[in-house]
Amino acid sequence: MSTRDQDERIELLQGTLDLLILRTLLLGPMHGHAIAKAIEFRSDEVLQVEQGSLYPALHRLIKRRWISAEEGTSENNRRAKFYGLTAKGRKQLTLQTSKWEKLAGAIAQILKPAEQEGKS
Amino acid sequence: MSRRKHMLEHLDEDIRDHIEIETLDNIDRGMSPQEARYAALRKFGNVTHIKEQTREVWSIVWLEQLLQDIRFGIRMLWRTPGITIAAVLAIALGIGVNVGVFSVLNGAALRLLPIPRAEQVVNVSQIFHGRTSRNTHGETSMFSYPEYLDYRDHNHVFSGLIAYEPFIDATLAGGKAQQLLGTAATCNYFDVLDEHPAQGRGFADSDCSVSGENAVVVISDELWRGRFAGDPLLIGKTIVLNRTAYTVVGIARPGFTGTEPIPSAFWAPVTMQKALEPGLDRLPDDNLSWLAFLGRTRQGVTMPQVRADLGVIAARIDQHHPGRITSLAIGTATFFSRPDEREVLVPVASVILGAFALVLLIACANVANLLLARASARQKEIALRLSIGASRWRLIRQLMTESLLLSIAGGVLGSAIAFWSFVKITEFVTSHLPHSVPTFTVNVAPNLQVLAYALGLTLLTGIAFGLIPAWRGSRLDLNTALKGDGQHSGPGKTGGRFLLNALVGCQVAVCMVLLLAAGLLLRGLYYAQTVNPGFEDKNVAQAFLNLRSQGYDQSRATVFMQSLRQRIEGLPGVIEVAQAECAPLSHDFSADHFTVPGRTDKIAIEYNHVSPEYFSVVGIPIVRGRGFEAGETHESQGVIVTESTAQSLYPGEDPLGKPLREDTGREYSVIGVVKDAQVSHLGDLNTMYLYFPAGPQDNTRSYLLVRHAAGFTGTAKGIRDVAHSLDADVSFDVTRLEDNLEVWRAPSRIVAVLATALGALALLLASIGLYGMVSYSVSRCVREIGIRMALGANGKDVMNLVLWQAMRPVLIGGIVGIILCAGVSHVLSSMLFGLSAHDPIAFICVPLFLLVVALIASYIPARRATLVDPIIALRCE
Repeated sequence: MSTRDQDERIELLQGTLDLLILRTLLLGPMHGHAIAKAIEFRSDEVLQVEQGSLYPALHRLIKRRWISAEEGTSENNRRAKFYGLTAKGRKQLTLQTSKWEKLAGAIAQILKPAEQEGKS
Repeated sequence: MSRRKHMLEHLDEDIRDHIEIETLDNIDRGMSPQEARYAALRKFGNVTHIKEQTREVWSIVWLEQLLQDIRFGIRMLWRTPGITIAAVLAIALGIGVNVGVFSVLNGAALRLLPIPRAEQVVNVSQIFHGRTSRNTHGETSMFSYPEYLDYRDHNHVFSGLIAYEPFIDATLAGGKAQQLLGTAATCNYFDVLDEHPAQGRGFADSDCSVSGENAVVVISDELWRGRFAGDPLLIGKTIVLNRTAYTVVGIARPGFTGTEPIPSAFWAPVTMQKALEPGLDRLPDDNLSWLAFLGRTRQGVTMPQVRADLGVIAARIDQHHPGRITSLAIGTATFFSRPDEREVLVPVASVILGAFALVLLIACANVANLLLARASARQKEIALRLSIGASRWRLIRQLMTESLLLSIAGGVLGSAIAFWSFVKITEFVTSHLPHSVPTFTVNVAPNLQVLAYALGLTLLTGIAFGLIPAWRGSRLDLNTALKGDGQHSGPGKTGGRFLLNALVGCQVAVCMVLLLAAGLLLRGLYYAQTVNPGFEDKNVAQAFLNLRSQGYDQSRATVFMQSLRQRIEGLPGVIEVAQAECAPLSHDFSADHFTVPGRTDKIAIEYNHVSPEYFSVVGIPIVRGRGFEAGETHESQGVIVTESTAQSLYPGEDPLGKPLREDTGREYSVIGVVKDAQVSHLGDLNTMYLYFPAGPQDNTRSYLLVRHAAGFTGTAKGIRDVAHSLDADVSFDVTRLEDNLEVWRAPSRIVAVLATALGALALLLASIGLYGMVSYSVSRCVREIGIRMALGANGKDVMNLVLWQAMRPVLIGGIVGIILCAGVSHVLSSMLFGLSAHDPIAFICVPLFLLVVALIASYIPARRATLVDPIIALRCE
C-alpha cells in the first residue's frame, strides 16, 4: 500500500529528528525555537529541518517521557515552554546514538567497495 | 490523558511564539517586517498540517481502529442475518445454561453469608489425622464446647468467635404442634454476626452464664409472621419448645435465617442444649464434634495470621489426646464451607458444570462451522484486502472482532435470560422437592462473581470459535482466490473440509456422551420404577416418632409407645403393627463393624433393630430358623441375617447357631435367615444386613409400620387421633411406605430430566451443525455434482456420495463418544439402582437414535444435490 511506504519514510525521518533533539537537549533545557536554531547551527546549516516538524517530534518524545516540558521565561522575558532531557531520555540517547553509529558504519561498509569498484 | 490535554492546550500559542521569535530574528538580520514574517512562515511549514500531526501523536490509534472494526463487523453481520441470528442463538443457549448453573452454585457455595461485613467472617473446621477416636453429632469437622472455650479465650485474631449447633429438631407446642429446625448458639452470636434482631434483643452474656437456667429464645421473622401472625406483643411471652418454656426476647431481621443453607426457625443459648435435647448432655464432652465455628477477624488481620494463631491452640489441645494430629481448615465463610460438605459438593458441581460446558462446546463448534463456511464465502473480499496491502494480523483482528461481537451479543442475551429464568427455576425446584427434604435457601440473584463468570465465558467463547476461522480465513492463496473459482482448487479446500469434518465429529461425540448419560439414567429410572424391592411396600403406613426431640426420656417414651401400639392395633382395618429403628428405604442407616470368630477381617455391616412383627408387616419371608419373639431386647443373643450375609460370612455352612462378634466384643449367634430385600439402598440387593431385636432404647426414636386393610387416609387419621388422645402435643407425620421409594427415585429423576434436556439441546445443536455443513458442502460442490451427472451418474449415486461424505465424521465422532461415555459412565452408577453402567440396551438404542437423526439432518440438504441440473450447474460458475 502506498501510504504504508510513506509511513515508513516519515518514520525514518522522525527517528533521526528525535535523536537530534535529544542530543541538542543534552546541553540543557531549551525552548522550541532555540532547539531548531541549535540543530541548524550545529549541522553547519546542512540539515534544513522544516521547523514545524519539530513540534510533532517534541510531543512524541514527551509522550514517551524521554523529555519533559516546563514553563519558564525566555531571554527576552517572554513566557515559553522549556524542554529538558529526562533520565529515561538520557539513556535512550546513548542507546539510539550507538544504534545509529552501527547503522551508519554498516551502510558505509557496504557503500565503500561499490565506490572502489566503480573507480577501478 | 491530562498530559495530552495540557500539552495540546498551549500548542497554538507555542507555534505562534515560535514564528514570532523567528520573525524578530529575521528583522534583526535586516529584513522588512513583512518579508521577515513570510520567511518565518515558509521555514516553519504548513501550520495546520503540523498541528494535525502533533495532535495525532496523542491520538489513540488502536481505539480508532477498533471502533472502525466494530462498525464494519456490525455491517458484515447485518448482511447475513440468518447466520448471525443462528450463531447468536446458539451462543446464547450455550452461555445461558452455563451462567445459570454457575449462579446456582455461586448462590449455594461461593456467596458470602448474608450478614453485614461478611468478608471479615471466617469459618473454622478441623480435620483429624493419626490415631484417634472422636464422637460426632453432626459432622466430624466440628468442635466440642471445651474446645470452643479454649479457642475463644486464647486466640489473638478474632474480635469475636461464635459456636453453634445447627439443625436441632424441636417441637413447638400449643394449638397444632409444629416441627421446627433451630440453632443453639453461644451468647455472642448476634453481636459477632452484627445481626441485631429487628425487635427485642439478641443474647446477653448473662443468658449463657448458668447452664440450663436461662430459657430465652430469638425466633425467625418467618416463624413470627407465620405461626404467631405477626403478634406485636410477642416479646416477653413464653413459647414451649420440646416441653421447656422459653421467653421470646427477640425477633430476627426479615431475611436473616442463620448461617446455614437450611433456615433456622429459632435460636436458643447453647447452654440450653440439654433442655432442647433431653437425655443428652453435650456441653462437658471434650471429644465430641457438634459445634460449628464462625469468627470475625480483627481489622488488618490476614488469613495466614489467623491460621498460625489458631494452629498454636490446636497443637496445644492435641497434647491432651495422644496420637491425634489436628489440622484446621480456615476460609472466608460461605454456605457449605465445612470440609465434609465440600467433599460432596465439589464432585457433584464439577460433573454438572462439565456437562453444561459440553453443550457450550457444541454450540461453539457449531458457530465455528458457520463462520468457517462464511469465511470461505468471503474469500474474495479477504483476498482483495490482502492484495491491497492489509496485514494478516489486521485481518485476523477484523475477523476476531466479528466473532467477539457475536459472542457478546449471545452472551448478553443468554445471561439475561439465565438471570431471569434460573431464579424462577430454583424457586420451582426448591418448592417441589420431596417432602422429606427440608427447604433450603439459595440466593441465585447475580452478583459480581456471576457477572465476571459470564463475561469471562463470553470472551473465551468468542475467541474459541473465532480463532480457527480467522486464522484459516486470513491464510489465502491470492491468485486462486481472486480468479473466482478458488474454492475448487488448491490446498485450502481439503484443509477446510477436514476442519469442518473435525468440528462435526466433535459435536457428535459430545452429543453422544450426553445422550448416552441421559439414556442410562432413564433406563435406571425405569428399572427403579419396576424393580421389586423384595418387601411389600403397599398398604403399609409409616409413622416416624422422634420422642426425644419432644422432651420424652426413655421410660416415658416406653410407656407412650406401648399404649400407642395397643391403640393402633385396636383401630378398625389395621392388621398388624411393627416397630423398627429404621423403616425400609427411609434414609436412616445404622452400621457397625463385626467379625466372625476365627476370622481376622472386620466387616462393616448395616443393621436394624426390629420388633417381632416386622418381617410379616413388611413381607420379608423367613427362610430358615425363627424370627424374634416378644421379650427379646438389646440384651438378647440372637441375630437374624439375610441370605447373602449368611453366604458371605459362613460360605457353604449352615448359618444357624453360628457366632458373630461386634466391635465392642459382644457375641451374638444366628437364630434365623431371611430373604434379601432392598431395605437400605434401592437397587442394592446383595449388601449384607443384620436384624437385632428392638428394645426400650428404641422407643425414644423409632418408626411404627402399620399394615392396614382399610384405605390409607382413614388409617393415617386414626393413627394421628389415637396419638393425640395420648399426648395432644406430640407431633409426627404418617406417610405411605411406598413413598420412601419415591424419595430414592427423586434425585435420579431430577438428574434424568436435566440430562435429557441437555442431551436434546445438544442433539438439536449438533443436527443444525450437520445440516449446515451438508448444505454448505452441497452448495460448494454443485459443479462437481454437475460434471458427475453429465457423465451419467444418477441421483442415487450422487445422494450416496453426499451422504457418505456427511456420515463419515458422524460415525467417527459417534464411536469416539461411545468410548468416552463407556469410560466415564461409572460416575452415574449410584443413580442407576444396580443397572450396569454399560447397560447394552442404552448403548445400542442411543447410538442408533443419534444415527437416524444425523441421517435425517443430512438427507434433507443432500436431496438438493440430486436435483442439480448439470447444464445450469456448469454454466453458472
